[in-house]
Amino acid sequence: MTEPSNSKPLYLRRDVLGVLAVGGAGGLLAYNLLGKSDSTPAPENQNGQPSAKRSGEIVVGLSQEPTVFNPLMAHMETDDGVHFSMFDPLVRMDPEGIIQPNLAIEVPSLENGGISEDGLNWRIRLRDDVRWHDGEPFTGEDVKFTLELITNPKFRAWRTAGHSLVREITVVSPTEITWRMEKAFAPYLSFLTETFMVPKHLLENEADPNAAAFNQVPVGTGAFKWGKRVPGDHLELVANPDYFGEGPYIKRLVFKYIPDITVLYTQFKSGDIDLVGQVYISPDNYEEARKLRGKVVEPVLASSVEAIHLNLELPQFKDMAIRQALYAAIDRKAIIEALYHGVPSVTETFMPQQSYYYNPDLPKQEFNLVRARQILDKAGWVPGDDGIRVKDGVRLSFANSTTSGSHLREMTQQYLQQTFREIGAEMTIANLPSAVMWGDFWMHSKFETAIAGSTYLIGADPDVTNRFHSRSITAQGGSGSNNAQYASAEVDALLEKGSRIFDPEERRAIYYRVQEIIRRDLPILPLFQNTNVFGRSATIKGFEANSNTRTESWHAASWHLGNKPTGSQAGGYPSGGAEMANQSSRTEG
Amino acid sequence: MTALAANAGQGRWWQSRTVRRFTNHRLALLGVTMITLLTLACVIGPYILPHDALYIDLHARFLAPLTGDYYMGTDPLGRDIMARLLMAGRVSLLVAFFAMLLSTLIGTLVGVIAGYRGGWTGVALMRTVDGFLAFPSIFLLLALAAALKPSPAMVTVIIAVTSWMEVARIVEAEVRSLREREFVQAGRMLGLSGVHIMFREILPNAMGPIIVAATLTVARAILMEAYISFLGYGIQPPLPSWGNMLGGAQQYLATAPWLAIIPGVAITMAVTSFNFIGDGLRDALDVRDDRV
Amino acid sequence: MSRFLLNRISQIIVLLVIVSIIGFIILNLIPGGPLAQYGLDPGMTQEDLDRLKEQLGLNRPLWVQYLDWAWRLLQGDWGNSFRDGAAVLDVIGRHLFATLLLMGTSTAIAIAVGTWIGIRGATHRYSTFDHLATVGAMVALSIPTFWFGLVGIYIFSLKLGWLPAGNMYSIGDQSVLDYLHHLILPSIVLALVHVAVWSRYMRTATLDVINQDFVKTARAKGLSERRILMKHVVGNALLPMITLAGMQLPGILTGALVTETVFTWPGMGRLFLDSIGYGDYPVVMGLLMFSAILVILGNLIADIAVAMIDPRIRLS
Repeated sequence: MTEPSNSKPLYLRRDVLGVLAVGGAGGLLAYNLLGKSDSTPAPENQNGQPSAKRSGEIVVGLSQEPTVFNPLMAHMETDDGVHFSMFDPLVRMDPEGIIQPNLAIEVPSLENGGISEDGLNWRIRLRDDVRWHDGEPFTGEDVKFTLELITNPKFRAWRTAGHSLVREITVVSPTEITWRMEKAFAPYLSFLTETFMVPKHLLENEADPNAAAFNQVPVGTGAFKWGKRVPGDHLELVANPDYFGEGPYIKRLVFKYIPDITVLYTQFKSGDIDLVGQVYISPDNYEEARKLRGKVVEPVLASSVEAIHLNLELPQFKDMAIRQALYAAIDRKAIIEALYHGVPSVTETFMPQQSYYYNPDLPKQEFNLVRARQILDKAGWVPGDDGIRVKDGVRLSFANSTTSGSHLREMTQQYLQQTFREIGAEMTIANLPSAVMWGDFWMHSKFETAIAGSTYLIGADPDVTNRFHSRSITAQGGSGSNNAQYASAEVDALLEKGSRIFDPEERRAIYYRVQEIIRRDLPILPLFQNTNVFGRSATIKGFEANSNTRTESWHAASWHLGNKPTGSQAGGYPSGGAEMANQSSRTEG
Repeated sequence: MTALAANAGQGRWWQSRTVRRFTNHRLALLGVTMITLLTLACVIGPYILPHDALYIDLHARFLAPLTGDYYMGTDPLGRDIMARLLMAGRVSLLVAFFAMLLSTLIGTLVGVIAGYRGGWTGVALMRTVDGFLAFPSIFLLLALAAALKPSPAMVTVIIAVTSWMEVARIVEAEVRSLREREFVQAGRMLGLSGVHIMFREILPNAMGPIIVAATLTVARAILMEAYISFLGYGIQPPLPSWGNMLGGAQQYLATAPWLAIIPGVAITMAVTSFNFIGDGLRDALDVRDDRV
Repeated sequence: MSRFLLNRISQIIVLLVIVSIIGFIILNLIPGGPLAQYGLDPGMTQEDLDRLKEQLGLNRPLWVQYLDWAWRLLQGDWGNSFRDGAAVLDVIGRHLFATLLLMGTSTAIAIAVGTWIGIRGATHRYSTFDHLATVGAMVALSIPTFWFGLVGIYIFSLKLGWLPAGNMYSIGDQSVLDYLHHLILPSIVLALVHVAVWSRYMRTATLDVINQDFVKTARAKGLSERRILMKHVVGNALLPMITLAGMQLPGILTGALVTETVFTWPGMGRLFLDSIGYGDYPVVMGLLMFSAILVILGNLIADIAVAMIDPRIRLS
């Protein structure tokens, strides 16, 4: 045989290697030349914490990436941190649940004439010392533009509820604006605490506001200005020295995206990030995290409730006895204490404990297998050959779904499976990836049962029409999130009344009654109210949690590092215990 | 004319050169021993161990190995890890084995036909292989996992669907080179049909790489199952699999490292065994020295 | 040759079209989509969601959506991400650098180390080194990468504190040294499997060649071992290597996926996972096309190399 020539192959191989080497090294070099940021040398370490090596900068770690920077467009909780830092709403809700003025000089109410007697005419008076990041003054024109943009049919707006009732917005003067509501809608004031103002002069001439350059480089009135963004990795905001409100006291606010919760926690421990954002620290790590040196770790009550949602259209669940029996077969104490390390707290209702409208007198659930079996026996559910109860040809068997990969929930499911079996109920586990789980499967009530951690309140307003009104059942042609397909005429009437009344006392009585009925009818089986474990470096002062917002970074303007002067912020940082913080952490993944 | 296997008509099969060479290969024997022991343990283990693999005991969570009769400790739900490990082994090994069968079948069929026929058929088939390869396996994985109800059967199908292409490529390349060999041309001259040549002449000679590929596919399938279940899409709880045991252990690495180490070691052992066996087979079936 | 090219090009086009169509169908079959993330938002009504669906153009019949996408693609417009509106090519490009860096480094390590091990093992067959290398390679191939990465983080980052726990760089310090510091652990973890694969193939390929007649002839002629090795063995062992390299090219997308997840490396694999999870159809389709192109390139390289080296194998 002849010798095959070998010059070409060698050349090819060298080529392959060469390309790889050059590609790698060249790219590295290029990026270094282009991407070198102002690396200020590390100042003196406070408490010897590695996190303070960058002067005047705080890094917040998030497990979901913020990608929507126009606060009026459809977005997730994780985008809120950026919105709150860069923009301002007309009014704010503080940690105690009281609405405070922000861009408005005073909160409109019945007393000061900001809201008329019939709730239809609103008048807002604005500050005159506010400027956009590009120097232009903020006026009532911007408010009008913002509200109108939200209801623009071409604009991919977030929530339009409430805004769609606004008519005839009139700019009386640069600091005064009025409008008329189509009908009295009490929750609207709360909605305004989550409605950020955008600049008219930058968006009014855009042919397609969805694709405006503004959406990539936003301009707001907030304490921080847009710095730069490295997609898929992090984004930087820089301080706005002309901010009308308090602060900011730090030079840079960085939001870093770390998709894995475990890695997020690891990087918190190692000091790579200073503050843990959504989805915070897992209860599994709470014991260890508490003892970390140089860190402040505290559980903060969230406003979401973890519950088992039943699909009431299934024959098994139409029987009240089943729902009661299942509820009595849940060992909540064991689940909370063992699986969740005692972090969350029991609850009997969808209303968060820190809310003014929380009803503390609801009957307490008791884990009692004997009683559960008695209920089922009395209702005529008889165990079959395989131990599973049957009645009228219907087996007490159902599937339970939640986000796959959500470990704590999966453990809860398996434990529930075991205890349910002891009363003759068969629960199978069928988990789905997040995008599938919460799509049509959830919204069109295609599940049998589901475990979800939901925030039932919008903007901390007790109106839960969206959740429990019979018109909100999407699967039956309605519009809303009544996924359990619950329908009660009494609750319907109460909810309608509650959304029309402005007086908190009166409303309270109404929502107390709603909670009683829901507790009796059990369309959802509450497990516990969520508590988020917040973690931050001890060098960060001025941090306060706010459960009435969906983010931990709702007031980064008041944060500062180490030994800098405290200035005029309210109350330093909370120490231990359950602080009020409203986080609608929807799932673990 | 029968296939020109090197040992045609020479005594019992276990006395053949191939088998002798295999048994001389120390690592391969080690692999066979390991996998046999592992399989036996998985089959018998759950019956003789004191604890049930599924029973949740919230008072016995996170026990370290060798606490009482929990030889390998307990998991976050208080279940005995050893029992779970062995039960998981059944699932993981069965899934991997059947995935291998399925993908080897498909891959060999496609590869032989494409390699022998050549021309338009060959091109079309290989382009189909490319088409499948063009889809990142993750895509097919997530798509299938989301569309179908996850179960051991589904996981088997998913793994097979993402594994047959490699087998097809290897087989096609091998057949393509075998096609030009003298014995094939001789067969053609004799007027043997294409199917006969493909499956009675070429295939037995290509068995070497196929068997090796199959063995390595099992190894790969075990790893794939681990990965899929680790991500949360494969075997669903409470049924244990080595992959989902690893998935649930990730966050406890600092506090309960045995949760991650033990399944990881099991996977490594099983996969290593198959790799050893595959290597031994490859050496044993290397008939090139013995070509007539 | 030109007929071969023409043939190939038409095959490529067909492949791309088929991949895009099937990919599009599968993508839309996955329940969920870009609006699923709002499922738990208490403020979003079904009307809001329907409105958004229409504004995103997802109400149109599938074939209309596909043709629209394909038409734009032909004009060079790969679309915009549903999540942040950025151009899909930009999104892919940014992540591509990170993946190339990681894969490039680990492949370089793998080739260098693997080739040496493989050839040495083949020439000193059955020596202690060979045995150790063989066993080592097979064990390395058997270790789940994600597990190895986790253990690596645990030892070198958590316990010893020598190396960072993840990311490509530390914010505020993006010097070359910083990049390298972050590159060490993930590239070694990734290289582990590659070293094993390359060394195994190199060994087998070298063995195949060593046993062939012309090498025996050359040895019989008295040429030095070294020259035989360099000229014949290495040159001819390249055949399976090229094929292997070609087959690995599409692996750029998902090859480092696991490592990227464990080390939160902002690469293509993670982009892919995220995009599917969020139902970001334009980006997923862009990545699919990208992957298909890589497969084609890989095949082309492999086939051309094979044809040039071994004239017996005809290109048809």
